[in-house]
This record gives sequence, C-alpha cells and structure tokens, in this order.
Amino acid sequence: MASKVDPGIAEKARVLGAGNLTSCFHCGNCTVVCPLSDGDVSFPRRIIRNLQLGLKDKLMESPEPWLCYYCGECSETCPRGAEPAESVMAARRYLTTQYDVTGLAYKMYTSKAWEFGAIFGLGFLVVLLFALFHGPIVTERVELNTFAPAHVIELIDWGMGALLSVFLLSNVFRMVRRVLSAETTKIPRRLYFTELLALPLHFATQKRWKDCEDSRMWKKHMLLVSGYVTMFVMIFGFLKWFQTDEVHPFWHPQRLLGYFATFALLYVTGDMIVGRIKKKRQMHKFSHSTDWLFLILLFLTALTGILIHIFRVNGFPISTYTTYVIHMAILVPMLLIEVPFGKWSHLAYRPVIAYLNHVKKKAAGSNIS
Amino acid sequence: MSERRIGVYICHCGGNISDYVDVKQVLEGIRKEPCVAIARTAVFTCSDATQQDIIKDIKEQNLDGLVVASCSPKLHLHTFRSVAERAGMNPYKYVHVNIREQCSWVHRDDKPSASRKAIRLVRGGIAKAGLMDPLQSFRIETIPKVLVIGAGIAGLRASLALADLGIGVYLIEKKQEPGGWVADMKSTFPNHRSGAGLIKGLVERVHAHEGITFFSGAELVEKSGSVGAFKALIRSGDEEPFSVDVGAMIVATGFDTYAVKEGEYGYGMEGVVTLPEFKAWIDTQPAGELVYNGRPIKTMAYVYCVGSRQAAQPDLEKPNKYCSRFCCSAAMHGAICASTLQPRVRQYHLFRDVRTYGKYETLYEDASRLGSVFLKFDGSAPPVVESNGNGLTVTVKDMLSAGEELEIDVDMVVLVTGMVARENKALNDVLKLPIGQDGFFNEIHPKLRPVETVIDGVFIAGTSQGPKTSSESVAAALSAVSKCAALLMKGYVELEPLVAQVNSDRCTGCAVCIESCPYSAINMIACDTGEVAYVNTSLCKGGGACVPVCPENAIDVLGYTDDQIESMIDAMAAEPLAEGAAT
Repeated sequence: MASKVDPGIAEKARVLGAGNLTSCFHCGNCTVVCPLSDGDVSFPRRIIRNLQLGLKDKLMESPEPWLCYYCGECSETCPRGAEPAESVMAARRYLTTQYDVTGLAYKMYTSKAWEFGAIFGLGFLVVLLFALFHGPIVTERVELNTFAPAHVIELIDWGMGALLSVFLLSNVFRMVRRVLSAETTKIPRRLYFTELLALPLHFATQKRWKDCEDSRMWKKHMLLVSGYVTMFVMIFGFLKWFQTDEVHPFWHPQRLLGYFATFALLYVTGDMIVGRIKKKRQMHKFSHSTDWLFLILLFLTALTGILIHIFRVNGFPISTYTTYVIHMAILVPMLLIEVPFGKWSHLAYRPVIAYLNHVKKKAAGSNIS
Repeated sequence: MSERRIGVYICHCGGNISDYVDVKQVLEGIRKEPCVAIARTAVFTCSDATQQDIIKDIKEQNLDGLVVASCSPKLHLHTFRSVAERAGMNPYKYVHVNIREQCSWVHRDDKPSASRKAIRLVRGGIAKAGLMDPLQSFRIETIPKVLVIGAGIAGLRASLALADLGIGVYLIEKKQEPGGWVADMKSTFPNHRSGAGLIKGLVERVHAHEGITFFSGAELVEKSGSVGAFKALIRSGDEEPFSVDVGAMIVATGFDTYAVKEGEYGYGMEGVVTLPEFKAWIDTQPAGELVYNGRPIKTMAYVYCVGSRQAAQPDLEKPNKYCSRFCCSAAMHGAICASTLQPRVRQYHLFRDVRTYGKYETLYEDASRLGSVFLKFDGSAPPVVESNGNGLTVTVKDMLSAGEELEIDVDMVVLVTGMVARENKALNDVLKLPIGQDGFFNEIHPKLRPVETVIDGVFIAGTSQGPKTSSESVAAALSAVSKCAALLMKGYVELEPLVAQVNSDRCTGCAVCIESCPYSAINMIACDTGEVAYVNTSLCKGGGACVPVCPENAIDVLGYTDDQIESMIDAMAAEPLAEGAAT
C-alpha cells in the first residue's frame, strides 16, 4: 500500500521549527553520528524524510522522536546545515499536537495568540477566583492558611490533577496504540508486565540520555526532575504539611526539601534560559515560543514560591498573600496548558516510549536465544 | 639501395624501454644491417641535446636515411621529421619505430623476448628507410571565408568572432528567424539572463557586421572541393541555388528535444508537459498564483532523465544511453523560477542522479533551500503518472525512503526531457560527417581535437556534437573559430604527401577503388585508353582502403608502398638474429 505524500505536513513542521527541512539531501551522517540511533531505531534521517514528504502515518507510528534527547551532534555534523536535531524537535512538537484530539495542543503550538491568550486568560481567572473567594486577610501576622486554607487548595489540586491525568493519559494511549500498530517485532504480552519496572525507572532517570556524548545536560535535567518531583510530592501529597503558617527551624525537613527543590528549579531553568539566550550549545540555538514559555513559567513559579516563603518567615502578611496569588496565577495555567497540551507532556511520552523500546529489545533478545 | 647511409638511434626512454629491452643488445643486433652508417643509443632521444647530436651526425656523416626506435609515432613522429628537415634531409626519409608501446610496455614479463622483438622491429624500420623516397607536402591556397551552418547561439557567436578576425562569413539558417532554442527563452541559468535578450544582441551585431552575409530559410545542398577551397551550393527558399567559395565550414545545426511518446509517463494527459513546454509556460507566468490552462498549479512533480540514460529495451530501437547533462540544471533553474514567482508552490523532484555539475551545483542548492523536495528512483522502476480525476497522481518507489512506494497528488508533471541529435538526413548526406552511436556528429578526439572532424576544414560546434549548455556551445563555437582562423589566416594549407597514387598503366578503370574510399577522394578520368582512377590528393587521407581492393595492384600509398612494406616483412622475419641475440 502506497503512502500518500502530504505537502501540508512539511509546512506545519516549518511552523513548528523545522526551518531547514528541505536542505537535507539524505547523506545519513546524522544517523551515523547519533550515539542513540541503532539498528532497531534509526534516526534522525528517517524522521526528517517523513517530515519532508509529509508521511503522516509513518510519523504517528514512529517512536524515534521521543528517543532523541537533542544532544545536537547531528546538527553539528550535518554538511548541509539542515539542522537535523531541530527537525526532530519539530517532529516532537508535531506529535504533541497530533496525540491530542482536542486540537488545543495544535493551537498552542501554532498560534501565539492562543498560547499567550490561554496563559494570561487562565492566570486572570485564578486572580479573579482569589479576589472573590479568598479567606479573611489577617494583617497583624502572616496567616496564609486563613487567606487560602491548605485543605481547600489541596482539594482543588487533586481536582486539577485528575483533569490533567485524563487528558495526558488519553494522549499517551493514542500514542501507544499508533506506535504498537506498526511494530513488527513479535512481543509476548507478559513482557509488558514483567518489564513494567522500566517505566518508572526511565521516568525517574532518563537513563538513555546518559549515552549522549555530552552528559552534562542529562545531569542538569536530573537535578531539575528531582526538584520538580520533590515539589510535586509535597504539593499534591502533603500540602497541609508543606503550606504551614508555623515557621519551622531552618533544618526542618519541610524547609530543607523546599530549599532543595527551589534551588534545583531556579538553577536549572535559569541556566537553560541563559543557554537559550547565549545559544552556545546546539540544543539552545533554536528556541520556539513554547520553549521560552515553558522555561519562563517554571522559573517564575519557583521564584514566586521562594518569595512567598521569604515574606512569610519575615512576617510580611500582605506581600505573602499577594505573592501567593501571583504564584498560583502562574502555576495553574502552566500546569493546565503545558502538561497535557504543551512541552511538559514529554514527561509522559518519553518514559513510555523508552519503556516500549526496552520491552521491544527484550523481546528481540529472547527471540534470538 | 646499397648507397644509402642510414643513422639509427635506439632510445632508453629513461627506463621505459631500457628496463625491459636490452638496448645495448638491440644496438649490436642491428649494427651490421645493410646501409647502417651510424647506430647509437640515447637516454632520451627527444631531448634537445640528442636532437642536436642527430643533426650533427646527419650533416657530418652525410646521412640520407634516419630511424629512431622509441615511443609511439603519435608522440614524436613529427619531432624527428623536423630533426631531419633541420639537418637538410627530406623529412619523409625518416622512419619511426615504436619499441615502447608495442614492445617494452607489453612484454615486461619476458625481457629476452622483448629484446629480440625490438631487434626485429628496428630491422624492419631500417629496411623501410632504405626504400624511402623524398616526398613534398602539398600546398593549397585557402579562401579566407567560412560557411557557418545554423544561426543558433553557437552559429551567431562563431560568425561574429570570425568576422571580427577579418574572415568573411556566410551564415545560413534553415528557419526564417535566427536564434534557435535560446531565442525563445526568458530567464536562463546560471545568471537568470534573458536568452531572448542575448540572441537579440547577437543578431543585431550580425546584421550590422559587413563581413557577415546572412541567409534565412537556407540550406546547404551540395559541397565540393576540399580543405581551404570548398564550393558550397546553397538554396534559399524557392530561389535558384547559388554557390559560394569558402575555405572552411562550421556546422552548428543544434539539437532536437527528446520527443516523448504519447502515454510515456502519462504524456498527453492534461498537465503533463516536457521540459521545453514547461520552460515556455513558466517564462510567461506573472508573479503570484501559477496557472496552466486555466487551472491553478500548487503542487508539481518533475520526472528526470526522460529520454536520457535509457537502458536497452525490446521496444526501444535505439536507446539514448547518454546523459543529456543540461537538463538537471535547467529543471532546477525552472524550479527556482517557479518558487520565486510563487513561494508557496510545492515541488517534488523525482531524480535518478542529480547532475548539476560544476558551477550549476548552486542551482540544486538554491532549489532545495527554496523548498524543493527530492526523491530518488531506480532506473529500472520509473515513476508512474496517472490521472486521478481531479489532477495527476505520481507513484514512485523512493530510494531515500527505503524503497517505500509513495503517491503524490500534483497539478503538473514536468518530464525533464534531454537533447537528441537533430534528424537532418539531407545535410548529413552532403557533409558526410561521421555520426556517433548517439546520433550526434563525432569529433576526431574528445580531448585534444574537440571541434575537428575527419573532414579537414569542416568543424563542428554547439549541440550538433552532443548535449551542451549555451555557454558550452559558445565555447565550442569559439574553439571552432580559432581552428578556422589557424587554417585560413596563413593563406595556404600544407597537406601530407602520404596519399594514394594510381599507376595508370596498370589501371583498367574497373572503379572498384571508388567504392572503397570513405573520403570520396577517387574519381575516374578519361585517358587515351578509356578511363582510369584519379586520386584527389587534397581529399585523400592515405587510409589505404583502395590498395588491397585493386585487382591489378595498381595503387600504392606513398610512404607505405608495397615494396617498402614487403622489405620490412623480410627484414623482420630474417633468420638468424645477430650474434649474441640468438638465444
């Protein structure tokens, strides 16, 4: 069955960052130089070809874009300046827009009006809700839990978490279904269960990234994830313990964990923002508006988070409440937009694909023996 | 014969000869041959010093025959003829013996035999030198005029260059308008200059030039005479043919585009066009939406190598095996024009190999950066073009997608057709130029004599000799101009005297020889006893085809007479070899 060439996809890819797509003349140097491409999963050339020709089915069925960590070696090696790594990045953006059936992801990625409109709109909504429904404002001392009681915020957290999970998991489901539909290796069902541990392992470690020649970015990313996961656990699991009015001594685990997570988030996002401004590293040379937005929102979330803490422990009630509202007005849109429809969705796509790839390799190995 | 005094020089050629042939032994083996007055060896006989030595020997020893045993005569025959001449000896008394290409290089595995063979070869040369007669080259006064056939870009440019040198030009063009293919083009690669503009400038200058006489709608119908003094009969329209006298001719009759057969790659369907048809269309498109026959063209496919690089097939009488080489660049240039007029146009190039050679590589570069996508197909699995009711669908197995079969819906398919030789039997019959397997006129030597033909004084230029770009055509045209000038500006030509000679006493006038001559150099003339063969020495190439066919043994080629050849055979076959070489 012949595949249909869809010229529209190459145009979409261009909008999504693959600017030099047609410069590629398929010498394959990129694939040869890539430390992660192997006999089973071959990229980036194949991804570029599928984008050039707009072979939608091939793209939807390919796990390869999620197996690349953008070390940039391919772009540095490319004799045509075709920026293969950026094309793969564009493929990830494209897939993110395609796994999502609501069409929102596509709007966020292709229209700045939608992107910023949604962020600011949701932020404004958060401010409005606080203005309407906040608790009593105590000015004599800092009583954050009177202004915004942790048990109420926690319930909202869980509701939002459930909503995000529904969207994200349905996207993951579509991705898995398409990828497996094209899988040619015979994979015994039981392997999916016996190897299930690989999923959290890849989520927590992104260990494939280690194999890139320059592993510094992997280490930074590890730090970022550890900070993010720490914060996630404290907010979604232990908010009543985390959001207190009592000022614990410095060495208290609540403060130490908070400081660690804040440092990790601020340091790594700050470093990445500087990197994208300086454009020294290959992976930082090209920045889509979605890349900026994600980094800046994460940085601002951490920054306002630590500011709340500083105002609180130093006894500035109004500043604490105001910063808290701003913090929420950044955090909520970031999570609602970025996790299911934006760049942050890769937190689910990457480990799932890495897990599937792991299972596939296992299956291939057992077939041989 | 016994009075002859022959000098023999045996060359080491550095070590090219002496590494395999025992030069000393050869010297000993021939020293005692009859008539050898002096025999020497030399490390490089062609060196200035040795040439001087030979001249000295000839003068001091009063030599009247010279043999050099060295490399191929293609390399140094004329060198040593000139040595003889400078020493006051008739140059045709020189005999060249090839003991390098025909001996040392081919017998590296058996040195003793190589040496023995060299002795025999040199003996043959000595025997021939003993019978060589002095000969004089012919001299023909040349007419300082040139007939240029074809007023395309090559013919026009050649005419101007000749006229600027003071050589009179008759420029004839079969069509009513000069200019050829280029006259119809707007933007041409690589600099996007207007082809029509270039031709307009040339035509204006041609018309204005006093030295050029231009005939439109004119054809060459008869040619007689020979190099330096041709008579050409020209017919212009319905008028009575007239003749012009010229010293040389330049044939610049151009090419035809490959004629795509109905149904070949869907040709005949709406939207399937050849490269020239595409070019004519894109040249007339204004910027903005591209429209062909009222339909908007948003997506296009180019199929390369149509009618070029064809493999032998049962239904193909004469496949065009060659690459037309201009078409890749022309198609890329067209794609650039299309992208420039309408940046959103999507272009898919289905190629076998991209041959935008030399400077034209930037065209490929530009086309790909402007958004053209390239798909590679194997020559054995060409793309298929079909109608899909709405437009066209091209199906291709793309080698860059691991042989995946792909379907592309397009609004236009450009068949990138190559150049083929122009069918022109009438002119070919008049000119009798050799035609290559590909149908184009053949030059003598593709590297060293690229515009000369086996017919002295008739030069070829432009695409009549093979696919070329405009600039290559003009380069060939100017090359032909320089060859014309070299021939005509001296005022005379000297022809080799090594031509056939008829012994009219023996000739019975049977005329068998006339048929055998590829140069039409023999005709019959009346004599006392009826008719005998007569050789036009300015046409004769000394090929010798007439010699063996003559039942009366009445023809000899000077410099290669039966006596000379037989004496060589006798000397080469004589036994035993000289002492010391007999082993």
